[in-house]
Amino acid sequence: MNKPTPIPAIEIEELTKEFTIGSTTVRALRGVTTTVSGGSFQFVLGPSGSGKSTLLYLLGALDRPTTGSITIDGRKINELSRDDQDRFRRHEVGFVFQSFNLLGNLTAIENVLAPFLPIGVSADLRQQADHLIEQVGLGDRRHHRPRELSGGEQQRVAIARALLKQPKLVLADEPTGELDHKTGGEVMGYLRRLREEQGATVVVVTHDESYIEPGDKILRLLDGEVVSNTQPGE
Amino acid sequence: MWRFAIQNLVSRPLRSLLALAGLSVAIAGMVGLFSVAEGIDRMVTDTFSRIPGLAMMQTGAPLPLFSRMPAGWAKEIEQLDGVRVVNPEVWSRVNVIEGKRVIAPPRFLFGTNIATRKKLETDVYRDAMVDGRFLDGTDHNQLHAVISRQIAEDNNVGVDDKLSINGDDFRIVGIYHCGQLMLDVSIIVDIDLLRRQIRFDRDSVCAYYIEPDGTVENDVLVKQIRELFKGREIQSTGNIAGAIATGHPLIDLLLAIQNWLAGGTRASTDMATDADAEPIEVRTANDWAERFDEFSTDLNLFLGVMTGIGVVIAVLSIINTMLMSVTERIIEFGILKANGWGRRDVVMLITCESAVLGVAGGVIGCLLGWIGTDIINSTWPDRLQLYASPSLLAFSLIFSTTLGIGGGLYPATWAMRLSPMEAIRRG
Ligand SMILES: Nc1ncnc2c1ncn2[C@@H]1O[C@H](COP(=O)(O)OP(=O)(O)OP(=O)(O)O)[C@@H](O)[C@H]1O
Ligand SMILES: [Mg+2]
Repeated sequence: MNKPTPIPAIEIEELTKEFTIGSTTVRALRGVTTTVSGGSFQFVLGPSGSGKSTLLYLLGALDRPTTGSITIDGRKINELSRDDQDRFRRHEVGFVFQSFNLLGNLTAIENVLAPFLPIGVSADLRQQADHLIEQVGLGDRRHHRPRELSGGEQQRVAIARALLKQPKLVLADEPTGELDHKTGGEVMGYLRRLREEQGATVVVVTHDESYIEPGDKILRLLDGEVVSNTQPGE
Repeated sequence: MWRFAIQNLVSRPLRSLLALAGLSVAIAGMVGLFSVAEGIDRMVTDTFSRIPGLAMMQTGAPLPLFSRMPAGWAKEIEQLDGVRVVNPEVWSRVNVIEGKRVIAPPRFLFGTNIATRKKLETDVYRDAMVDGRFLDGTDHNQLHAVISRQIAEDNNVGVDDKLSINGDDFRIVGIYHCGQLMLDVSIIVDIDLLRRQIRFDRDSVCAYYIEPDGTVENDVLVKQIRELFKGREIQSTGNIAGAIATGHPLIDLLLAIQNWLAGGTRASTDMATDADAEPIEVRTANDWAERFDEFSTDLNLFLGVMTGIGVVIAVLSIINTMLMSVTERIIEFGILKANGWGRRDVVMLITCESAVLGVAGGVIGCLLGWIGTDIINSTWPDRLQLYASPSLLAFSLIFSTTLGIGGGLYPATWAMRLSPMEAIRRG
């Protein structure tokens, strides 16, 4: 009963992604093969344009790779039907972007519930959302609109939204990019709690290596290729 | 979902209001235009339902006013099976009342044979008396008249007062009120008196009103009458001027309708000597209603085209509004997509938004149209009565909602072709 179910790893094999604009083809990813172990805190580092965001979107089934595959828990997510990909994102993946996480016309609490609007929001779900928004320290701001919140507060709303799904996978694209170091540290702290309390695999794209802690894993990309995937000190 | 949609609309109030205004005006216009058609329809139906008998007129005459036939024919018609009463009529236009020219609404002197009229079982005027008495034997050859309440009020006269009509002082013996524009135009007088006053041929009448006794089907009776007069000649008393205008918009409209309806039969007047030519037409209330239905169809088509123009503009403005708000919100759709919203869900959201516009525009438009027809009706009570029926309003509302939904579908599918993730990535 109490035997912890092992968190499935993410197997990435020979992943390529090309963008064609007019007659030019950009090769954003050129055959990425690596493993993100289940329940790890995985950083993705690399210079601008190296393909970090592209890789993240492919992991979240927001886009389909040109070739190669991503396998999570035995499912090749790049081969799922569109409906199944939507379901996968709605229930299993939490996204946190650098900015533009929230819908301007919805309050903080409604933003947390946004993924479930099309399928209907139960009272139970609303209660959980209420609880989560308190957990990220925004209990008294739950009816505020995003423009009334600071950047850090907005990121925390996005994290609460990711938490509500109890996701197996959290994907964050420079979540601290627009925050000062202290606020950024707080946001990173919430992401770490997510991993610890819910046992999620957290993948964070960042430019700022100062957030890295011992035990984290680091994937380095350069020009769409893997340079290394290591733990600090390895 | 609906709340989200409404919040999205409310967050851009000016734009939403403009789109709403465009749609409301189009729908109000639609209600207004079609209420004209419904008003005419209701009036015509009501008028003819009160005149259950047959009207016999010269072929091609748009109104009894322009029709002539021999007075002697009455005897022959009376002989037919199924005829109860034949009442001869002479009609004349009133030009001057109390020294004032009568232009619109028109007034007609309606000369009727008092003796035969008395025998009618239903008499649209006698049954509508509100004051005084109807014409009787004592009025024969007298300057006595029964007028409508409308005419009495216009000239501030009552029973026993004098009213100068075309220069002659008539004594008013009674007042009727049918409440129908097409009926309340008549000043009813003795037929022989009227003939004398207007120097109308003693041996002619304008029309016959034939009341059946119910023993023979109307259709059969009509056929008998037509057979009876087939091939006879009516001495032409000049042109039957279809082009004559009375100055009353409604009567003119009806004249135009009549001309239009008579278009096919007109030719037969020229062949009056032909043995098969029919000098007369006999119309039942049913005929009128049927022929009028034909006209209604054409009128509705015309109104449909007019409304269509307004509606197209309204739909374009909805599409434009939704397109603008969709292009502005690509990033939002990206966020929604990242959170598990499928294409269908996004299309649903946008369609909800435009459906809200459609419903609101429909409700406001219907209200405006309805209030508008009410104001027009109470401002000009003796003109055409517009009528916005519940089914017209219901149709407008459903139509508007459909437009809203339709107007949102294109922007919605268009939104799905944009790549929201690109917008997010670029920031
Ligand atoms: N939708 C797209 N269309 C065309 N080219 C694209 C698209 N997305 C990414 N690219 C290209 O692919 C390459 C990798 O882009 P990506 O956004 O993954 O880089 P990144 O590592 O996230 O960079 P940054 O650190 O600046 O965010 C870039 O050259 C970029 O221009
Ligand atoms: Mg990036």
